[in-house]
Amino acid sequence: MLRAKWWKVLSFVLLLYTCTYGFIVKVPKLDDRLKESIRNMFFHVPMWFGMMILFFVSLVYAVKYLRTSNPIHDIYASSYAAIGLVYGVLGIITGAVWANYQWGSPWVGDPKQNGAAIALLIYFAYFVLRGSLLDTEKRARLSAVYNIFSFFMLFPTLWILPRLTESLHPGGQGSEGNPGINGKDMSASMRTVFYPAVIGWTLLGVWISTLKIRIELFQLQKEEQN
Amino acid sequence: MISLLQTTIVNANENVMVKDGKIYLVLTIASIIMIGLFAYVTSVDRKLTQLEKNIKG
Repeated sequence: MLRAKWWKVLSFVLLLYTCTYGFIVKVPKLDDRLKESIRNMFFHVPMWFGMMILFFVSLVYAVKYLRTSNPIHDIYASSYAAIGLVYGVLGIITGAVWANYQWGSPWVGDPKQNGAAIALLIYFAYFVLRGSLLDTEKRARLSAVYNIFSFFMLFPTLWILPRLTESLHPGGQGSEGNPGINGKDMSASMRTVFYPAVIGWTLLGVWISTLKIRIELFQLQKEEQN
Repeated sequence: MISLLQTTIVNANENVMVKDGKIYLVLTIASIIMIGLFAYVTSVDRKLTQLEKNIKG
């Protein structure tokens, strides 16, 4: 799976489709506020979908590590979390740029913005924790436990609290549900780009994670030889 | 003949690039970035595969 080619090609094809058809697909013009900027849905939102999927894969490997104590699982867990965090940072930066021109300021204290920032800080602490422990076995074990906690903190910070109050993001009070998945909230033409974009961006994240994994497996091999 | 062909191609490109609020220009730039990014990731992937082969061999 690490070295298979087909899904890497699929990722390229889907993202090339996103970067071309994404700009010409017909988007609804509702009240002239969002205008063409709704096309950010094909770039900003897949960052968050990708991040959640990468964090989930990281969680699976953290649990696997705790069951087996196999250091390779720790490498998988930390690599997926690292690229997930990169996606989250890209999501928050692109969100701030969009917010600046849509809501008047890069940071408006929107519940989803604040929740996302907290979620990212929790994952940053995962790497602070890893960096502070020198013993590899202890580092792997403690960070696996913390990884599980981090993932479950996504529930309140991203998925529950922002939906209980009024929010500038879709999905807040008054527009219930997940705006990305709820078919009523996105036009059919936009969905023809949005779903391929989510899959393409996520596969690219998985690809970069596997590169990081392979480098770290090298280092592990080298350490074992010494 | 060749220069005439080149001019025609350039004109055709310019027409596409500037119509519909120049959206095709953005499309081209985003595609270049995407292709460049994938070319880089692919090259890192290949180098790693080569390294892995060397170590095994």
